[in-house]
Amino acid sequence: MRRVAVVATGQTEHARSRDDLSQPELVRQAAGRALSDAGLEPDAVDAVVISNMELFEGRALPELWVGEGAFASGKPCLKVATGGTSGTSACIAGFHQVASGLFDVVLVVGFEKHSEGHTQTGMALTDPFWDRAVASGALGNFALSISQYMAERGVTEEHAARVAVKARRNAARNPHAHLRMPDITVEEVLASRILAHPVRMLDMCPQSDGACAIVVAGEDRAAGLCERPAWVKAAVTRHEQPYIGDIDRRLASMRTLREAARRAYELADIREPLGDFDVAEIYEPVSYSELAWYEALGFCEDGEAGRLIEAGRTEMEGDLPVNPSGGVLSTNPVGASGVIRVAEAALQVMGRGGERQVPGVETALATGYGVYAWADVVVLGSA
Amino acid sequence: MSEHLTVPIEMALTWRYASGSAMERFAAGLRERRIAALRCDGCGRRYLPPRPLCGNCRLPLAEWVPVADEGALEAWTVMHLPILDGRTGEPREAPYGMGLIRLDGADTTVNHYLDERDPERLAIGMRVRAVWRGDLRGAMDDILHFEVLR
Repeated sequence: MRRVAVVATGQTEHARSRDDLSQPELVRQAAGRALSDAGLEPDAVDAVVISNMELFEGRALPELWVGEGAFASGKPCLKVATGGTSGTSACIAGFHQVASGLFDVVLVVGFEKHSEGHTQTGMALTDPFWDRAVASGALGNFALSISQYMAERGVTEEHAARVAVKARRNAARNPHAHLRMPDITVEEVLASRILAHPVRMLDMCPQSDGACAIVVAGEDRAAGLCERPAWVKAAVTRHEQPYIGDIDRRLASMRTLREAARRAYELADIREPLGDFDVAEIYEPVSYSELAWYEALGFCEDGEAGRLIEAGRTEMEGDLPVNPSGGVLSTNPVGASGVIRVAEAALQVMGRGGERQVPGVETALATGYGVYAWADVVVLGSA
Repeated sequence: MSEHLTVPIEMALTWRYASGSAMERFAAGLRERRIAALRCDGCGRRYLPPRPLCGNCRLPLAEWVPVADEGALEAWTVMHLPILDGRTGEPREAPYGMGLIRLDGADTTVNHYLDERDPERLAIGMRVRAVWRGDLRGAMDDILHFEVLR
């Protein structure tokens, strides 16, 4: 298998609503910025992968309609749609295409324009015989699992609020982020409107309009396209059984993320995640999930996530800064969000994170999380 | 109002889905207030909803086992944001309680509404029982919600 690297990134300015751009225009902006970043003309791209949850916009065949925005006409083009993991899975598909030797340069573009459609409808269109009658969307599903996770692992509402504050303060240093709140406080989060007990408005991710692209290249091309490529050390994806009731104590057990991490760490020789990673960009749609992911990703023992955030160890100046970009809690155009995780992790390895750069990044982690439980784990490195 | 041109679209549409043999048998039971799960020969897990295959063991499921209409509350929330009902497109009136319920005789949990919506009066481990509608139709919403047994 050929070595593969992320050599360029491009993203839009994400916001509640981007009525100034159509879907193809939004995609074209991110794709164009990624190609400029690599110094490539559109014809130099061998294949395109698109990530989008088309039910959210209610617009079929995004790979056709926006494909041209991603310069896909006349090229091989695939679409990936797996909920929150769409973007990381699309990146992994691109990695596989280049690693196999089928293509030398692949463009991966993820996008979502939540403002144009019905995200809740897209989430509610589940099994018509079983959970359609009780669909509670991402919010209700998370809230249910959070009740179990809090009871089992001693996590508090204040621990979660600290995660929410960290994300929005970090986002203030990211010019692309949607929710940039440099002065947000724990008290403000705890006083925000309750959405589904115990989840409050400021515990949840926003719905954003935005697009993000990366350029993936094989080992013989990467060095020529990027001064310091972000090499793919591991890329692992795991799916789960179909119903939320199939998964025992979902946030606490999280077998997909635990198994994906175990395999990825084996491939990338990660032994002590908290020390071995220099930065992490993890997919946290709700503050509480970041705490659960700390445990599933081995940043700490089970039951220690609250202490990890309390001690500031995942803050920008901590041992392992988690989500310098502001994460999904600050920006969530679903189809793009996983691509953003990989792009932000790659920027950190390239040393091009601007005001949100963590000094001296050699190894970075990016994750994806989809539907109730799917997980992707990507490890990027400087060598 | 946006300064840009946007195109509003509204549609009223109908879908129809085949249920499959396992769900047909399950639905027939509901009409008589009977709940049954399919048990896996490999791992012993008793599945709701019943389905053709155990995803963990990759084995076909054929052994039906009876399940009670009461069980333990494994997880709960009180929804304050009304969520859209995926059958009608209409939101349910908030606030309302929701839970994951492990019915006696099943190993998976059922996601359903609760009659209680006061967080102070809900706790993991509570016993709950199904409240059935009068005119049974052979669908999961023959159970209106679960009542907390005190």
